[in-house]
Amino acid sequence: MTVLDDTPAAAPAPGPAPASSRRPVKGNPWLPTLRGTLLVTQIELMRRRPTAKGWIFYGLLFAGIMAIGMFAAAQSDGSKNSMLLELVLVMVLGAGLLVAPSLSATSLNGDSSEGVLAPLQMTRLTAGDLAVGKLLASWLFALAVLLTTTPLLVYAFSRSGWHWDELLLVVAVILLVVLTATAVGLAWSALAARAVASVSLAHLTTGFLLLGTLLLFFFTQPLISVTVTETSRSFDWDQFTVEQEAAVDAWYMNGDVAAFDEVDVHDITCSVQDGGWEHGVARTERTAWLLLANPVVLIGESSPIVNYLTWDEDGRAAPGLFAEMHRAVSDARIGPSEEELQDSVSWDECADLVASVTGDYSAYEDNGWEQEQEANSVYPRAPWLGLGVQAALLLGSMWIVIARLRVPYKKLRQGTRVA
Amino acid sequence: MVATTTAAVTTAAVSARGVARSFGSVQAVANATLEVQPGTVTALIGPNGCGKTTLMLMLAGLLRPDAGEIRVAGADPRHDAAAVRDAIGWMPDQLGSWDNLTCLQTLTLMGRGFRLSTHEARERGAALLGTVHLAEFADRPTRVLSRGQKQRLSIARALMNDPAVLLMDEPANGLDPRSRVELRTLVRELAAEGKAVLVSSHVLAELDEMVDDAVFMSKGRTLGDEIAAKVADAKTRYRIGTLDDDLLRAVLTEGQIAFDDEPAGMVIRVGSEADAAQALAWLMSKNVPVHRFGPAGSALEQTYMTMEEERR
Repeated sequence: MTVLDDTPAAAPAPGPAPASSRRPVKGNPWLPTLRGTLLVTQIELMRRRPTAKGWIFYGLLFAGIMAIGMFAAAQSDGSKNSMLLELVLVMVLGAGLLVAPSLSATSLNGDSSEGVLAPLQMTRLTAGDLAVGKLLASWLFALAVLLTTTPLLVYAFSRSGWHWDELLLVVAVILLVVLTATAVGLAWSALAARAVASVSLAHLTTGFLLLGTLLLFFFTQPLISVTVTETSRSFDWDQFTVEQEAAVDAWYMNGDVAAFDEVDVHDITCSVQDGGWEHGVARTERTAWLLLANPVVLIGESSPIVNYLTWDEDGRAAPGLFAEMHRAVSDARIGPSEEELQDSVSWDECADLVASVTGDYSAYEDNGWEQEQEANSVYPRAPWLGLGVQAALLLGSMWIVIARLRVPYKKLRQGTRVA
Repeated sequence: MVATTTAAVTTAAVSARGVARSFGSVQAVANATLEVQPGTVTALIGPNGCGKTTLMLMLAGLLRPDAGEIRVAGADPRHDAAAVRDAIGWMPDQLGSWDNLTCLQTLTLMGRGFRLSTHEARERGAALLGTVHLAEFADRPTRVLSRGQKQRLSIARALMNDPAVLLMDEPANGLDPRSRVELRTLVRELAAEGKAVLVSSHVLAELDEMVDDAVFMSKGRTLGDEIAAKVADAKTRYRIGTLDDDLLRAVLTEGQIAFDDEPAGMVIRVGSEADAAQALAWLMSKNVPVHRFGPAGSALEQTYMTMEEERR
């Protein structure tokens, strides 16, 4: 082992001096450099320069997007509506998540089997240069998708009731989510020997974050549920006097309350029936973090808050996709109220009778759900967990990529050669 | 121990001692030792799968050896990989190129990878395309190149950083006869400039005229002195073709000269070209009807064949 770690002799290297602008170096640097990263990005972009057919396809895509925009403008009645903007943003996200990881997931194992990776590793480019350069090159295609939709985005924004800084924030978060997915694709490309495997794994990872978190959230609900019992109270006919029975009968049969002039309605007794209905109430505040890890929820949590009651006065459009998502997620984060967690009486015949006799229905005028909806819609946003997940995935993926690109290789990908 | 290491570092441009590397349970290189001096061409010869490419990858600093010592231009690829990469021109056995880019773009980008300025890299790329006779393809995409042309582009790529050490893995593969002769001339020129060149090849007759030294490999081991003795012996072997083999046999036996009786003709050993002239004159004086007299083929090939026979 001491032989292996023997430091190189200090004697000057023999042979001709290196050419011109190059200086001798020490060690085995791996950190990305600006110059090297830009060179790798340039190489990747030149290699993937679209052909004539590619430009035609791109032109058709652009025309299609413009047509959708003009159609939307023609249909518009001039009122504020954030739906179109949200759809454009979802489209940018979706296209980015499909395109960029597909490109990055083939760029290391693909290059390796084509035999064009090792020659680059044999230059002065560091593992970091190659990793970050390839990441940027793939990600720039997602940026191109965003730029293509710009005219539509600007038009949709003008009607959305959003502020421009809010739009910039959401666009930045979308680009971060795409960058992370691209890095994950690159990491799979560094780990898997075959391009088919790495592309599938990249999309599965994205799919898990998008759908898996939702499925986990729903399937774990039984684990966090508490059982509450709902009971009902009904007339205690056996305890009634003859007058009481006649009065209740009259109200029961034809809604006649005249008899209660003689009989005090408050003396009518009710009793709880046997059993009752048992059901679970999920304490979703314990698992709501699963939702916050979802990249689409992250985008909802980064978008502006729209109050469900006062949006019109606030100068906003009616709550759209993202506001609705924020409201639903907030509902899960807040969880059930104390009342919802306690055993309750769902129906009380005596209370019904009292209300119809006295004409006081105030107990029934429950607008609690409206207030709850408003409270949920303005509940503080929680983007930090989602951002943390994205940052951890991004840095972790790049760490894997750089570690796998560093030469001399200790280990090779299963079933591959160096090239 | 340290003293010998330092000595090896200062004289040889490439040195490897006791290098080993395995992939899982497969021992690709078991024990390889070699030296390449500046200004010389060394051949690395061995059957398919004997570990030549793996050894070259370790010398280039792409693979980490499990054991042993490597020095390239005085640096250890394990710790000073950047210095090693700067000093090495590596021509891989796998021919890969960026399909969409032109030959000149490929070389320019490669040169910039070695921190040359764009202008410098383009100049050097254009000059090297001339050297490997690809100047007319400078602005054509590399996908139009034939196998041999790609091979030549690969040579130019390996020379972009003006390396002190050149590692060439099967450079003659797929080259037409003319390109092979040109490759031979180019390699000799590079050695004359002071570069240390290590060439692996199967075309042994080709190597004979190109190399100063040869390292044989078998089953992951470099063969040392005994194989060098065999090469030296092979160089002294002269084959005699006669119209009357029985007469030749009788003459040689009578003159007490040792000979190998091979189906293709008798083989004798002569020390030098002067000895050979003398031997031929003596045979003529004995009235042996000699119609052919000359070296018994490629020394490297003969050695390779004897090595292969031992393997079986």
